[in-house]
Parts: sequence; structure tokens; C-alpha cells
Amino acid sequence: MWVKLILLVLFCLMVAGAVHFAKPRESEERTSSSNSSDVLRLLTWNIGYAELEDDTRAHDKDLPAIAEVIRRENPDAVALQELTGKAQLNALLKLLNGAYRGAVAQQGRGDRFEAVLVKDTGATFTTVPVGDRYALAGSFRSSSEIVLVSAHADAFNASRRRTYTEALMDWAQARAQSATVFIAGDFNFELKAANETNLYTDNLKHDSESYSHIMRSFRDLGRAAGDTAINDRRIDYIFGPTQPRNIGRVTVLRDAAVGRMDHWPLMVEVSF
Amino acid sequence: MFTLLKLELEKLFRARSFYLSFIVLVGFVVLMLWGFYTYAARKTGGEAVEQFKYTYESKQYFNGLTFALYSLLFSFTLLLPIFVSMSAGSQIAGETRSGTLRMICTRPISRASLVLSKFIVTALHAGLLLTFFIGLNLIVGLIFVGWGNLELYPGPLNLVDAPGKIMRDDALMRFGYAALSGTWALLVIAALALLCSVVFESPVQATVMTIAAYLTLYIVGRVEFFEHLRPYFFTTDMEFWRDVFKPDIPWANLWHYACVCGAYTAGLLLATVLIFERKDIVT
Repeated sequence: MWVKLILLVLFCLMVAGAVHFAKPRESEERTSSSNSSDVLRLLTWNIGYAELEDDTRAHDKDLPAIAEVIRRENPDAVALQELTGKAQLNALLKLLNGAYRGAVAQQGRGDRFEAVLVKDTGATFTTVPVGDRYALAGSFRSSSEIVLVSAHADAFNASRRRTYTEALMDWAQARAQSATVFIAGDFNFELKAANETNLYTDNLKHDSESYSHIMRSFRDLGRAAGDTAINDRRIDYIFGPTQPRNIGRVTVLRDAAVGRMDHWPLMVEVSF
Repeated sequence: MFTLLKLELEKLFRARSFYLSFIVLVGFVVLMLWGFYTYAARKTGGEAVEQFKYTYESKQYFNGLTFALYSLLFSFTLLLPIFVSMSAGSQIAGETRSGTLRMICTRPISRASLVLSKFIVTALHAGLLLTFFIGLNLIVGLIFVGWGNLELYPGPLNLVDAPGKIMRDDALMRFGYAALSGTWALLVIAALALLCSVVFESPVQATVMTIAAYLTLYIVGRVEFFEHLRPYFFTTDMEFWRDVFKPDIPWANLWHYACVCGAYTAGLLLATVLIFERKDIVT
């Protein structure tokens, strides 16, 4: 009898312990906006579609919804990925009523373009060659220059992602000597701890290598915000300087996707 | 109870399968050493330096502690549960098969005490296996690969979200913690196998059913179709033991899952006792 009693008590104790130590659901966003007067709001969004569609690039019919999100969130700069080209960007800028200036990157190997939108009339844009692709950098705030790079690494090959990241970082590290550089975009790193088996693969190693390389010089500002794409994937990032800066609101706008988009916008506030 | 324990321990130490489990683990360590050594040599030197350009390039990364960590994480998933299942699965069903269970139950001992003593012996076996395996890996790592700090990167091993490092002495302490947390996690398998050992007449059947249940949940838990079911599998809860290797141990999380595993173990044991007490032993 005593054995059964001990086991029953032990069972109850364990259940009570499990309940006691159960962590409260982690808020996936930091909702406290920074009070600092000098706040930089950055947004990145891959506005392309999931693989189910014939054309997985951004669709023109979604542009009003995209413009609405940008107007509502009012970021200082926006990094967009998977646009069809300059005409689509111009249509988007028109929908934003001239509040932003923007440019698309030079066409690389693929059929889609990265773009940067900046709410600064003096903004300038530079194409960043990264292997056989092109990222785009927007520079603004001439008093204390800030550079936002819109990047999009290969979706299907971890080795190519690493090569891309290395080239991008070479450029960013050089540029960071004279400006505050932020890198935003869809890197497709499959690094979520809960996602994969724990077996060692070269793909994991490549993504680990790429991410760790960026983390040597930059900080992952959007880490607290959680998944940014369907299937519980966190593949969109905003990397910023490592020096102490207050990170304000960090959020993934999960109500923003329209049509068959497979990404949500990631928004980060940084105060100086 | 102590006499029972002593008898069960004697049985354990006389069993060939007990020593076989240690021999297989030694074989696995040798295999890991060969794979690790050649991989590290290939990827950190000569023509392949580019492969490990930024993070893994340092030969210090591939040190004895990293070796022990990889070896432990790889083996814990499949190898150790098999031995624990074998050990626990044969406890009651083995007695049934050899025709000694009926005789044991005629002695003036309660069936509950018998189950408990057999479980304690199985737990001891699991603890010894894991401690031996960790110790062996560390010794082999020290001798053949060399010491260093434990560097962790996101991706491989799925331990961290950001690059991190555990200093050597602290890392050694973490392996000590892993012996405890890992044994605690393995007790769920032991309790399940003991339950199967009571339900089934054959030790092979009990062991196979336990491993089948474990593997099914483990594999299903890895398939994205069932990601919403994943939190309800004991195989998911068992993974808490790895948290001791995170640079900052998430203690609340660790205690939570340790308690969940404890609840599984106690619940399964209670069910085992209740079933065994009502079982008509005819062999």
C-alpha cells in the first residue's frame, strides 16, 4: 500500500511542480514604445507569395494593402523584397502619396528585386553587388548618416546563402566605418532551435556560419518578435549596430499579409 | 525492500546484457571519434579552410568538450533509450519468460515492492550507463582531441539562438548536470518499458513495444504535419535535459519539464503497480 501511496504523492508533487514552473506565455513582442526623442523605425517585408503560386513575386493588387501598412506603421525606412521591378515600386510610392523616396536594386540572376523606401527627401540609394545578386542600400539623415540595406538571400541553398552573407558583410563592415548600418531582409536562415532534428548537417552548419558571422559585427534586433513567415519560420531579420542602443517596439505584424503572402513585416524601433 | 534490491542488483550485474550495453557504448564512442576526428581535420585544415571561415574555423572549436557534447546528443536520442528499454522491458517479462515470476510472487513480499525494486535497479542502470558514457567521452575527448571551451552556435545541435560560449570548467560542470537530467529523462522510458514488461509476457515484446512507442512519437514529433501535437508527446518533454548545455540555463523551464517527466514516470509506475497487482500469474 505504501508504495502506491508514495507513487501517488510523487505523481501529484510532479504535476504541481510542472504547473508551478510553467513559464508564462512569452510575449512575442515588445510593445513598449521608446520615449526617446530620436527614434528610428525600420520595417522589412518580403511581399512575395508562397511557392503555391505561378508567380511568387509581389502582386500589384496587393500594393494598396502594403501601402496602408506602411502608412499606419509610419517607419522611417522600409526594406522590401521580391518586387517585380521599378514600375511596381513607383506604383507603391504613388500610393504612399510621395511621403517616401525609393529605389529598386539592379537586376541580378533572378527575376525579383529588393527595394528600399526612405521617408527623407535627401535619401540616396546605392546598389550593393553580392555575388550574382544585388542588394540595395538607402542612406538618409545626412547629419548622422544611417544606411538601411535591403537583402534577400537564396531560399533553396544554404551554401549560396553563406556566400551571399559573406559578400554582404564585407560591404556592410566597410560602410559601417562612416555610417550607422542596418541590414534588413529575408535571409532564409533555418536556425530555429525547435524546428529541426538535432543531427549535424552541412546546411545547418552553413546557416549557422552565416548568422554567426553577421552576429560578430551586428545585433539581431528582431529576435524577440518571433516567427516572420508561415510554418513557424523566423527568416526575416533586421540587424543593427552592436553598440548599446535602446531597442523599443519589436513586432511582427501578423495581420498585415494579404493574398498568398508567406511573410509578415518585421518592425523594429531603435532609439539613439 | 533492501533484500529485494540486493537480489535485483545481483541479477543486474550477472546479466550479460548489462555489460553488452557498455561495450556497445564504447563502440559508439570509437565511431564518433573517427567521424569527428576526420571531419574536423578535413574541415579545419588544408583545402577546406573556407568551409569554416568564421565560426568553426578555429581548431579549438573541435575540442574534447565539443566532441563529448556531439557524441552525447547524438546517442541520447536513439542509443541510450534502446538499452534502457531492454533493461526495464526484461525486468518482469523476463521473470515470466523464465518461469520464476510465480515463485517470486509466492514469497512474502508485496508486488508493489517488487515493481519498485526492479524500477530502482533499472534507474541505477540508466544512471550508470549515462555517467559512464559521459565520462568515457570526456576522457577520450581529452586524450585524443584536446581541451578547450565549449563554443555553441545556432543551428547544429539546436541548443542556442545566438552564438555563445561556456568556459571549460563550467562546461565540465554542465556535463555533470547532464548526467542527472539525462538520467531523469530516461526514467520515463524505463517506466514505460516496465509497464510493457507487466502487460506483455515476453521481454522482447515489451522492449520492442517500448521502442516502437518512443520512436513513433519521436519521429511523428519531427514531422511538421503534427507540430501541434508535438507538445503533448513525452519525447518532447524528455528533451529538457539538453538545457543544461545552454550558456544561461533556463532553470524554470528545466524544472518544469523535469516535473512533467517525473509525473510521467510516477504515473506510469503507479499504473504498472495497479496492473501487476491484479494480474493473474499463470507461468
